[in-house]
Amino acid sequence: MSTADGQHEFDEAGVDMDNLTEQDLLLLAELDVLFDKVDPVPADLVERVQFAIALEDLDVEVARWERAEELAGVRGAGPNTVTFTVEDLTIMVSFAPAGAGYRFDGWLVPGGPHTVEVRVAGHSSTTAEADEGGRFAVDDVPKGTTQLVVHLANGTGSRPRTIVTPTLML
Amino acid sequence: MAVDTWDGLTGHDPWEGLTGHDRHAACLVAARAGNRKALDVLVADLTPLVWHVTRSQGLDKVHAEDVVQTVWLALLRHLDRLQQPKALAAWLIVTARREAQRAKTTGFDRETPVAAEDLVDIPAQVDGPEQHALRDDRDRRLWAAFKQLTDRCQKLLTLTVLSGRAQYDAVAEALEMPRGSIGPTRGRCLTSLRELLDSEGGPQ
Repeated sequence: MSTADGQHEFDEAGVDMDNLTEQDLLLLAELDVLFDKVDPVPADLVERVQFAIALEDLDVEVARWERAEELAGVRGAGPNTVTFTVEDLTIMVSFAPAGAGYRFDGWLVPGGPHTVEVRVAGHSSTTAEADEGGRFAVDDVPKGTTQLVVHLANGTGSRPRTIVTPTLML
Repeated sequence: MAVDTWDGLTGHDPWEGLTGHDRHAACLVAARAGNRKALDVLVADLTPLVWHVTRSQGLDKVHAEDVVQTVWLALLRHLDRLQQPKALAAWLIVTARREAQRAKTTGFDRETPVAAEDLVDIPAQVDGPEQHALRDDRDRRLWAAFKQLTDRCQKLLTLTVLSGRAQYDAVAEALEMPRGSIGPTRGRCLTSLRELLDSEGGPQ
């Protein structure tokens, strides 16, 4: 974190490109074009990122996606369960087809009366309150690019925290 | 409100007509003042950089997409801490690399990761999608030669190219190489690449 924050270190790490010949630069330019041809950015990725960062509050912490088998103890949770973690919080959500969309059943650990917001691209977001045990449910989540935003219930005096996940494609 | 003020004063986007480093600098300044459109422009311009850095770490496409999103989301609360616009590309490169490593070490092995190398090492006679992309024979030969370089050389040249693209060079930092050794190593890598490319018309 400190490394990423300080541009001084990068200034010092700057590499001079002066000793490259014109021939070198041409070859590097060819490679540059080639990278995008060989391994193009997935078509909708930019759009998904733009949706994911279009948040009211930018002071957010990012929960990382733990792919199905990665957490000991949640095996057998099923393929329709996803888990995100950030430092001291785990977000588990299972989704089941319901109506034209999905029903979400989730669990926040540790529990608390947190507010869970489900954002779906092209739709207004839905919120649900978790119970003291951290359980929450959201009905009628439309299909589409979906993101969870968890507003942590803060104890008196503590700073409000907002946790966001990368998008899911449902 | 900052958005309205800014647009109202200038009548156009502050990055309009700018390219490269100047454009990103203008976007970053505007984004820090609350201009959301500026953030979208940065995402559109620099996601290829983040993508290729992530993929160069050997992540498959599905995991790489997660990492790219994570990197941009993580940037949000760092916006105010990036004093110099040129620090943005460096931050993106280093964060993408770190997040990719993290994704690789957290149980990702069970999914039999497909390394970037494997995806493109499709023999020419197999009509894979990667080969379709490489219509040009020169491209195909250059790529084949590139993939024969050592892993170290591939990473060094990839980061050199991407850093040049972002007009900022964090190669030494990202590779954890002493600054003085980058130049000579890169020279050798480029010489190898040229020799591979020239040898007998290049490999199929």
